[in-house]
Amino acid sequence: MLPATALALGVLAALLAWPVPAALARARWPRRDPLAALVCWQAIGLAGGLSIIGALLVHGLSSWGHSLPEAWWHWVTRQPAQEVVRGDHWVAQTLAAVLALELLGVLLLSGVRTARTRRRHRELLELVVRPGAAAPVEDETLLLDHPAPVAFCIPGARPLLVLSSGMVAELDEAQLDAVVAHERAHLREHHHLLLLPFVAWRAALPVLPAADRAHDAVRDLVEMRADDVALTSLAGPDPRRTLAAAIVAAAGGSGGQVPEGALAVSGGPVAVRVRRLLAPADPLPARARWTALACAVALLLVPTVLLLLPALV
Amino acid sequence: MNTLGELERTVLEHLWAVGAPLTATRLRDDLTDRGLALTTVHTVLTRLEQKGFVDHDDSRPRQFRALGTREDHVADLMHEVLGQAGDRQAALARFVGSVGDDEMRMLRELLAGAGNDAAPA
Repeated sequence: MLPATALALGVLAALLAWPVPAALARARWPRRDPLAALVCWQAIGLAGGLSIIGALLVHGLSSWGHSLPEAWWHWVTRQPAQEVVRGDHWVAQTLAAVLALELLGVLLLSGVRTARTRRRHRELLELVVRPGAAAPVEDETLLLDHPAPVAFCIPGARPLLVLSSGMVAELDEAQLDAVVAHERAHLREHHHLLLLPFVAWRAALPVLPAADRAHDAVRDLVEMRADDVALTSLAGPDPRRTLAAAIVAAAGGSGGQVPEGALAVSGGPVAVRVRRLLAPADPLPARARWTALACAVALLLVPTVLLLLPALV
Repeated sequence: MNTLGELERTVLEHLWAVGAPLTATRLRDDLTDRGLALTTVHTVLTRLEQKGFVDHDDSRPRQFRALGTREDHVADLMHEVLGQAGDRQAALARFVGSVGDDEMRMLRELLAGAGNDAAPA
């Protein structure tokens, strides 16, 4: 008998599928502490998957034992069920398997596909970039001959940092340093790994608006985090303004490209970045930060404990 | 030191520079200062073909030509990175995404406003 556990997990899954991500995406504190918010998003993603699959599994196996490990063991060793197995139990088992396979499969597929694209890009860059055309800032930075002001990095075992000639022309030296520091922060903190599950799950769960929202939130937070890290390494009288100016200059140069969808004029992610650089809010107090982190840990612990402990009565 | 990557670039640069199909023998002779064996030239050409930078015809001996100019390849890459095609996630971390005209105007005002605030100080 595991129905209370299944119900609790189901409720948790429902909360994590809609109200919790919606609240976090709307909240204003994440831009004061992007790192803590990123941890929370990872916890939401992981706990969400765990609780929905767990709920289905617990219900599907409820006739086989009193706790999930026990029921699972009985099921795997093909012992007869202790109670009547109804059709909905089979449906729940199947759904759990399908969902688990889909989430993991899509994650794997997305990782492989991305790695392949990155390798192709890296090969292309190594062939196309003129030898000795290192950007003025850093030896390991590649300079791509293109008028659009673009900077990006290709993560991996041999990460690449790429600046376009348009970017170099558009920015002064301090601003270029800021851009490079920003990109380097992405690479050092492996932000692509934080983003990967959300890219994959957005693809896996197109019906879930929260998946979209979570992806966008994580993408924007990663940029803010990189801005914050970049600031710590920048010299100069006003690094915040330098970085903000670099962002605006880079955005302006690519202007007219493709305004993707209808970005709210005041709420677009670029504007948020520039605003928080120019008029920084106070950093989150230590207590609030620890509360956020504790919530993240609790989010992971609750479904884990529900799954492992004997059934609630 | 002739690493494969370096050789690939050298051969491709040469094909671009000549702008006409070349045989492997001709490539070896043109790049004689590199001291390449014919097999090495073929290895390099095969790798370039696999990567989609070089193509060969059916004549005898085979003639190799560059597929697309350097500018074509850069344009393709930028097209992907700028988010109009392909897998946006791959080149993560593009420094700034696309911005509409209205947002651009507002960004400039934001920056100008902050500059005025800072100026008297």
